[in-house]
Amino acid sequence: MAHVATQPAPTAPPRRRRAWRHILVGWSFILPNFVGFALFTLVPMLAAFALAFLDWDSYSTPEWVGLKNFQRLWADENFHVALRNTLYYAAGHIPLTLVAALGLAIALNRKLRGVAFFRTAAFFPYITSLVAVAIVWNTLFNPTAGPINQILEALGVADPPRWVASTDWAMPAVIVTSVWRDMGYYMVLYLAGLQTIPKEYYEAARVDGASTWQRFWNITLPCLRPTTFFVLVMLTIQSFKVLDLIVVMTDGGPGRSTLVLAQLVYREGITEGKFGYSSAVALVLFVIVLTVTVVQFRINERRSAR
Amino acid sequence: MTASNTPARVRHPLVKALATAAALSLAVTACGGSAEPAAGGDGNVTLSVTVWNMAKTPEFKALFDAFEAANPGIKIKPVDILADDYAEKVTTMLAGGDKSDVITMKNVTDYSRYSSRGQLQEITDLAKSGDAAKLAGLDAFDVSGKYFALPYRQDFWLLYYNKTYLDKAGVKAPETLTWDEYAKLAQQLTKDEGGKKVYGTYHHTWRSVVQAISAAQTGGDQLSGEYSFFTDQYNVALGLQKAGATLDFGTAMAQKSDYKTMFETGATAMLPMGTWYIAALMEAKKSGKTDVDWALAPMPQRPGGSGVTTFGSPTAFAVNKKAEHADAAKKFVQFAASKAGAEAISKVGVVPALQSPEITSAYFALDGMPTDEVSKKAFEPDKVNLEMPVSENTSDIDTILKEEHELIMVGDKSVADGIKSMNERVKSEVLN
Repeated sequence: MAHVATQPAPTAPPRRRRAWRHILVGWSFILPNFVGFALFTLVPMLAAFALAFLDWDSYSTPEWVGLKNFQRLWADENFHVALRNTLYYAAGHIPLTLVAALGLAIALNRKLRGVAFFRTAAFFPYITSLVAVAIVWNTLFNPTAGPINQILEALGVADPPRWVASTDWAMPAVIVTSVWRDMGYYMVLYLAGLQTIPKEYYEAARVDGASTWQRFWNITLPCLRPTTFFVLVMLTIQSFKVLDLIVVMTDGGPGRSTLVLAQLVYREGITEGKFGYSSAVALVLFVIVLTVTVVQFRINERRSAR
Repeated sequence: MTASNTPARVRHPLVKALATAAALSLAVTACGGSAEPAAGGDGNVTLSVTVWNMAKTPEFKALFDAFEAANPGIKIKPVDILADDYAEKVTTMLAGGDKSDVITMKNVTDYSRYSSRGQLQEITDLAKSGDAAKLAGLDAFDVSGKYFALPYRQDFWLLYYNKTYLDKAGVKAPETLTWDEYAKLAQQLTKDEGGKKVYGTYHHTWRSVVQAISAAQTGGDQLSGEYSFFTDQYNVALGLQKAGATLDFGTAMAQKSDYKTMFETGATAMLPMGTWYIAALMEAKKSGKTDVDWALAPMPQRPGGSGVTTFGSPTAFAVNKKAEHADAAKKFVQFAASKAGAEAISKVGVVPALQSPEITSAYFALDGMPTDEVSKKAFEPDKVNLEMPVSENTSDIDTILKEEHELIMVGDKSVADGIKSMNERVKSEVLN
């Protein structure tokens, strides 16, 4: 009996040592990456959280102001405008990109001669320089001499929109441009998703006499649910963070009609040097994105459970 | 075009990078405490100076060469930044704790921003010594009795015109114009030249084209929160646009059109613009990029006023608070504002802040400068008011005025409504 009891004792230290070694080896593998992440992502993120409660211009000593930045935010019209515009952009960009990407993927998911060319063509905007995209679309949207308005006039539209030169149409113009740019990327994700759907489903459905629409609705869409969920989450995060395209196309204008939250963060922080206030805006933006994403995950879980 | 815009793409990562830099610089400055003393006059010093479009802004090279010749042992290393991104880039650099020695103040709005944030070294001693009192535009750098920069260049606005188009229309050099006469002339000069549209005038999209000129000529204060004095000038600008005598604002904005291209390709007959364009225009003509036959006229005036009133803004050098070579940097700032500096830049067609009859006559003796009497008169306005007053509110008010300016100019708001919201927004968002 004593023999049995003492048995594990000599082996325990090596095992523990081996476990430690495993942990150390594991850490040493992720360390290079983690250090980079910690230094350039985690620390600044935490710093931004802390800064939101400070009044700091990057030079003087930071001053603790508690919730004052958030109170200011509540009363700041610029913030309300930027929040509304961001939601407007997201409401246009997310569904339109999703539909366009899915449509493209279905159209290009066939064994056709030259299909690779069309797939590449659809993906091309995504790898084009964003500044070039913005400038070209600005030229297309030119209110007086732009081809888009010339076509509209030729089609009999008497008073075509003034696009980026009008407060009502500037945001739609930005949304159209961003959908055009992003749809190729999400199309690739959908193409991958489409190729995982077993052919037998369609064959069986065809035997049962299901129409094209029925096959799409009852096979394709349900089988693509994981892809759609991923696309939706990525699109949401991307939409709320939009900045670059808007800065080049309209710089928030005319007036404040395309001012978005990310741009407000940049303007208040970098241009005006109000880092505390800017961080408060960033924090709100973070909370919004986090909430929307969590809600999306919850809904997805509930659906999966069914 | 692409080149000048590329940084826009990095902006987003920039925000993240800046947060890091800000966080790190906080930690570093807090612990670092005592900085090592700046290298003095002896030994070899390399002075870094922030500039924009070095290749297209000849004054910088002229100044640097003259300074290096006068100060052996000090070399200058320009930090070249794209003109369009200059303010934002410098703001970011300063916020990130950059150690460039001399920072060029492209305009007084940026100056007010940097000085109020304590990012510049006080150089009141330089501003009170030597010829400094004679510098045009020095007052703009007075921040309650303290100075953080010295102007080396003083620009003001006048009217450029294309002689060929005016001759063709049988119009004499416009010596004195009221704004109404100017608008009429612009309509008269608007033509279709063999399928190519020539506008009578081109108003750039900057708000100063309307707002600063009306402030200067009516005595209005752009920081006041009361902007009814803009009304007449907006009516002039919108009238020109309605008549098709200038490129429509929305198109100019969407196209990010360039006043230089407009004038140099002969797409416009007149152009209200600052004197800085003289040097660039002479350069473009010398290198054969344009063959426009140009001359200068005084800025059109509000009726009833006497003499020529325009607006202008000085350009200055300042010493970074975190400069590595503060002494050498101060030496440079002083040199640029001195007689030697003024001579160096007037040789390339830039208007120095230190003005004297000799410098003006040397200026008009330059090859390529128009020599007629009207141009000379245009070069000596009776009064030059500051483009935008300096205060800690300047940059906030500037943003609001710019946004409302766009709305009026694209026709989204009437002049009255636009001015009403300028009044309300400046009062509630800034002055409250």
